[in-house]
Parts: sequence; C-alpha cells; structure tokens
Amino acid sequence: MSTMESRLAMAQKPVPAVTKVPKAVSPARAALRQFMKSPSGVAGAVLLLVLIAGTIFGPWLHPVDPLDIVGMPFAPPDADALFGTDYLGRDVLAGLIYGGRATLTVGAVAALITIVIGVTVGALAGFFGGWVDALLVKISEFFQVLPPLLFAMVLVTLFGPKLSTITVAIGAVSWTSAARLTRAEFMRLRDLDFIKASRAAGAGNLHLILRVVLPNALPPIIVSATLAIGTAILFEGGLSFLGLGDPNTMSWGLMIGQNRNYVLDAWWAVTFPGAAIFLAVLAVSLVGDGVNDAVNPRLRRR
Amino acid sequence: MKLTKRSFLAGAIGGAALIGLPFEFTARAAEGGAGGTLVIGSTQVPRHFNGAVQSGIATALPSTQIFASPLRYDDNWNPQPYLAESWDVSKDGLTVTLKLVKNATFHDGKPVTSEDVAFSIMTIKANHPFKTMLAAVESVDTPDPHTAVIKLAHPHPALLLAMSPALMPILPKHIYGDGQDVKSHPANLKPIGSGPYRLTEYKQGDYYTLEKFDKFFIPGRPKLDKIVVRLISDPNALMVSAERGDVHMVPYFTGVRDIERLEKAPNVVVTDKGFAGIGALNWLAFNTKKKPLDDARVRQAIGYAANRDFIVKKLMGGKAMPATGPIAPGSPLEEKNVEQYKFDIAKANKLLDEAGLKPDGNGVRTSLTIDYIPGNDEQQRNVAEYLRSALKRVGINLEVRAAPDFPTWAQRVASFDFDMTMDTVFNWGDPVIGVDRTYLSSNIRKGIIWSNTQQYANPKVDEILGKAAQESSPDKRKALYSEFQKIVVEDAPIFYINATPYHTSFAKGLGNLPTTVWGVASPLDELYWVTPPKN
Repeated sequence: MSTMESRLAMAQKPVPAVTKVPKAVSPARAALRQFMKSPSGVAGAVLLLVLIAGTIFGPWLHPVDPLDIVGMPFAPPDADALFGTDYLGRDVLAGLIYGGRATLTVGAVAALITIVIGVTVGALAGFFGGWVDALLVKISEFFQVLPPLLFAMVLVTLFGPKLSTITVAIGAVSWTSAARLTRAEFMRLRDLDFIKASRAAGAGNLHLILRVVLPNALPPIIVSATLAIGTAILFEGGLSFLGLGDPNTMSWGLMIGQNRNYVLDAWWAVTFPGAAIFLAVLAVSLVGDGVNDAVNPRLRRR
Repeated sequence: MKLTKRSFLAGAIGGAALIGLPFEFTARAAEGGAGGTLVIGSTQVPRHFNGAVQSGIATALPSTQIFASPLRYDDNWNPQPYLAESWDVSKDGLTVTLKLVKNATFHDGKPVTSEDVAFSIMTIKANHPFKTMLAAVESVDTPDPHTAVIKLAHPHPALLLAMSPALMPILPKHIYGDGQDVKSHPANLKPIGSGPYRLTEYKQGDYYTLEKFDKFFIPGRPKLDKIVVRLISDPNALMVSAERGDVHMVPYFTGVRDIERLEKAPNVVVTDKGFAGIGALNWLAFNTKKKPLDDARVRQAIGYAANRDFIVKKLMGGKAMPATGPIAPGSPLEEKNVEQYKFDIAKANKLLDEAGLKPDGNGVRTSLTIDYIPGNDEQQRNVAEYLRSALKRVGINLEVRAAPDFPTWAQRVASFDFDMTMDTVFNWGDPVIGVDRTYLSSNIRKGIIWSNTQQYANPKVDEILGKAAQESSPDKRKALYSEFQKIVVEDAPIFYINATPYHTSFAKGLGNLPTTVWGVASPLDELYWVTPPKN
C-alpha cells in the first residue's frame, strides 16, 4: 500500500487553480474516490497488498533461510515443504517469501530510477526546446534503438550480477518512454497562458519546471510509473532467467532461471515463482489502470 | 532396395550440407561394415585444429583425427604402436628410440620421416601450454628417415603418455617449418597431417568435415568415409538432435538430465568410458595464502563440513564418481587410501575452534567468497551454492561470486583474487603432464590459470614430485605418487569432490566404439557402421 499511497500523495502536490473543479475537493481525495470506483483497480490494489504483506510478514510465519538446503532435492510439495524443494533441496516457499522482497524492491526501485531519469530528461527537453531538446532527444534515441534486454544484459555482464547492478541496469534501459511522455506533456504545457503568466510574474526556469509545469504533467507520468514497476519485475525475471541473476539473493526470477532446466523433475520449483510474478505484474497493471482513471480529469465528473 | 539406399543416404547426411557422394560410397555401405558418414554433434568450438600448440578437448577431437602420433593407447593404459611401430627406452632412461612405420604419408603425399617427428617434438616443447610434458627432452636425433632418437636430460617416464594422439600430433616439417609462428600458423586452420581423416571443409563455428584419407598407413582404415562435426552451441538442441538421430555421436557431455534422457532414447547408447586419460577432476580449491585459509585446519574443516556423498549422489544424480585425491579415479596411480573427509560437522567445528575462528554473537566464524566456472551449472554453480548452505552450519558465511564469463573467472583466480573457487582440472594421463602443475611451488605463476593458483607450497611435495617424474621403475614411481597423494590430501589445498562425469552417446548401429583411455581424443579409425542408420 505504501507505494501506492506515496503515488497518490504525489498527485496531491499543488495543482494550480486552472485545473480546479468548481466544488473545491482536494484533488487527491477526488482521485482516491475515483480510484475506488474502479473495480479492477481495487482488485489490483488488494492483490498487491497481499503480496507485499506476504513478503513482509512471511518470514515470521515461515522462518526458513531461502538459501539453506533443508531437504532432499526435488522433494514434491508435502507437509515438510509446503511448496516442495528445488534442485539443491532449498525450500520453495521460503524462496517465494524472500524472493518476493527482492523482486518487488527491484521493481519499485528500478521504476523510480526510470521515472527520475525519464522525467528529468523529458522535462528539460520539452521545456527548453531548441538545441537542448535536440541533444537530449538524440541521446534518448540512442538508448531507444538498443534492444533493452540485450543492453541490460551487457550492463549486468560488465558490472557483475548483483541485485543493485541489476536494478540500475533495468532503470538505465527503460527510461526513454517516460522521457518521451514527459517531453510531450511539457511541450504541450509550456506555451499555455498560465505558464506565460507565471513567467511574466517573474518565475525562474527551475520554479516553472518544478512547481508549475510538472504538477500539471503528472497524471500520465504517474500511470507510466506504475506500469514501469510491472515491466521492471518482468525484466528482473528475464535477466535471471538468462542466468544473470544475483546468486546470493533469492528472487522470483532467479528461482525460475535456476530451476528451468529441471522443470520436468520439479514443476513446483518453477510454477510457483512463475505464478507469483504473474500475479505481481497483473496487480501492478490493474492498479495502473485504476490510477489512470483516477487522475484523468475527464473522467472525474462522470 | 533402391528405396532403402536412398533413405539410408538421407539419414547418413543427417542434415549437413553434403552433395555429390561418390557412387562407391553407397555400394560399399550397402555391403555393411565399411563406409558411411558419421555426424558428431558438439558444443565445443575449436580455435583451430593443431593440437601441438593448443590443449583442450575442442581441438583434441579433430586434431587426433587429422594428425597421427607416435603412440596410441588401449583401454588399459598400454601403449600401442601407431606412427612408431616399435619404441625402446634405454636402460638409463636417457634415450628413447622410435622406429617409424615406413609407409606413412601426409595428406599432401609427402612421406612422414623422423625429421617431422623431431621437428614436432621440439615445436611442442616450445609452444604447448603443458611445459612439464617435454621439458626433459634435450634433442631428437634422426640417424635415418625412420628412426628418431629422443635424448633426455633425465629419465622421463611420462614421455610415453606424452606421445599420445592428443598430446603429440606429428606435424609436417615442410609446412610448419617455414619460419612462421606455429601458434598462429595459417595451416592450423587448413591442417595437413598423416592421420586417418583429412579436413576438407570448415565453416567457422558451424561445422567441419573430415574425409577419409585414402593413403592412411594402416591398411583398411579408417572404416568411415566421412565425419561431419556439427557445432551446436545450445546443449538442449544438441540433445534433441542426438535423440532424433540427426547426430550420431555426442562426446563430452556431463548433465545428469542429459545423460538420463539419452539413456532412455531408444536408438542411443551412452557410455562413460573413454575419459580415464583426460582424468577430469571437479574440486574446490583454496587460496592457501589468504587468511584464514592459510591454516590447513580451516581447509580440512571445510572438507569435513561438505558432504561429498550428498553432492555426488543427490546433486549429480549418482552419475559422477566421487574423487578423493589429486589423481583421478581410473588412473593406475590413484591412491584410494587417503583421508576421506567423511562428512562430520562436529569434527569441522572442533578444527575451526582450534584454528582460533570463534563464532561471534550470530554464530558466524568468518566470511569468505566462493567463485565458480560459469557454463556448467551442475558441476560448478550448484556445488558452490550447496557449499554456501553447508558451511553456514559450521559458522562460515559464504558469498557466491558469479562471473559473467570464463575470462572473468580465470582472471580472478589467476591473479589470486579469490578465497576459494570451484574448478575443473584435467590430469592428462600422467601426473607429470597434468597433476604436478597444481602442486609444485615452482609453478606458482601469477596470471596463469590452471597453474598452482592455490599457491600451495610444501618442500616435501616438491621433492617427491621431482623424484617421481624421473623414476623409471613403475613400482617405485607408484609408491612415490601414493605418498604424494596422502600428503596433499592431508594438507588440503584442494577439497576433491568428483570425477567430471563425462559421457559420450553413440547411435545404435555403430561398432568398435572408442573406449580407450583417450576415448574420442584418439583416432576414430576403427569406428564403423554395423547397421547404418535408416531414418
């Protein structure tokens, strides 16, 4: 819930008078109200909450080190190991709990990196235009033409398969769409009258970007950020699947990547983390949909 | 009948591009026994085909088909005549006289003479990575074209194994003696040898074709007309091809699932024979200069804390043979009566206590890293991950350091930047060739992988190895190596885990399978189709 709340909180930041609806309701509350009207969004939020709670409180209920060998390899699910054991005899349930922590953290942090880089580049390009725009667009085009998974693989190979490297690599390869989106929003907004008015009132560039234009460009960015979490989770899974996971930190992707060769011997070691990733990405997408509806001003008075 | 021939042909071609087979081929194949094409599938891409300057199984497989060597071996470590029809070691052990066969020619028609043998031996001595292999050779005399006299600085019993196909290909002096550097000689990719097959085509990284050499000096051989080696980089695709019969032979695979899978395939025979000569050991090596691993008790404790039985039986599905010492199981020199390091947590804890590694508040005695060779998960990564869990029980925190590729791993280990690492090292037949390098203190050479990267130094071991290298009496030699093995296992610069479970698969219908100590790293001149494939 915490991630979602903070996102909603972001939407609440000072919104200039122009977008105010006649009845003065706080935009965040309005958005929340709108969000609650979207059944899929609520379902996604609940699902996400359950997953996050599982990774936070799971270790108390099931205190097993996911890297520890607790039994024979390939033990099927039974009373000893509820979800079975993997090729080394490690507990799959423990892997799901601790792996969820890593996977969800990677997802959130990588999405944050994506947004921070993307919004910075997009805002500068869109706001200033001219040669700044040309340069930044060229740079982001350079990143766009590289196949993201391959590029991430190169980065991880260069800097070593550590969870931190993987997170940064995912952020570094997926910021371009956020940049394009932000740039488009900024270009649309920068010539509107209220911006000109602020400028005439003596606002500096930094103030204009951060306090005036950005809040108005936020709705689509928030949606894109939510969806970026799902993409990042899938990316982490993909990298681990290709053998570029961090062997010292259990994650869902790593579980699938390491166990895939043994899928015929132990379906459970691949299926459960696969289902977990599926549910997490689904939840994030549904939440993203809900947020989209909530922050879209056109839907508000519906 | 016509139909059968055609369908046989289709199968023999096995997907490889192959046009315009001579008519005799089909005719002889129909008789059974001779002719036909063998398709080998391999993940190992050779850098080139000249085994005189390149070690490793990727080159050994083609090199031993293309080049003949003075001797070859049977399945019981007995030398057999090959290019040398007889050989004689003098009483003092200082000269070895080879009498060469008189009818051997290179693929370009020039005769094989003692000049070529002398040239090859000196070239290998100067260029081959195994420096100890021919270090004792001072010179090679050539009193007549079919006699080569090898002069040694001291007795060198390993020489006989060093004359094996994989280690001593006889190069044509008229081609390689042109002054160019042999390591980068253009002929390494277009080799001319005197072996049973000649290289006719190489599509880099895709396939290479070996065709029967009609003037091979052993009459009636080779029996096959053609060998096509398809380089298939994806192991899964390779297994599917073997199952379907698209490839007839897959050498050097180790995966438990792959072995089990091909054992179940109806038209495939799987064997673990033919790897005694290579003698591949899978082990855990310690950096004996780094604290706390400089204390033998810590290394021994790790040995007791690791359950070799679990690794071999469970993680490797019982397909691998446990190894307990530096000389691979299957070698006549292996000493089985050494400390076994039977799984014993209490003993491990006691040794660690004695070494002064007391557990802290969290039960952690020390934190170490473990590396592994990327690429073979079952033999390397899985064992490293198992050790992380196993050593935690005795209070050793292990961090698994994944290397993205082989050079990264090799760089770390060769520059001594590691605590411990999983490793796979080959014996190569005689201890002098493949074992000494790991233990001699004179072979602590920074920057060179598979040297004494453990930086293990024991004057007694140096002395024994020095003596054994020159000991002509087989019994005394065996006794010396027994002593060496006991000391090294006790000192524990390495915890021995298992013999790498190399397996080869063959299509049913092949006869005279290569099960000698060198297996497929030896001429495949006797291999033939008893019943050619029909699919």
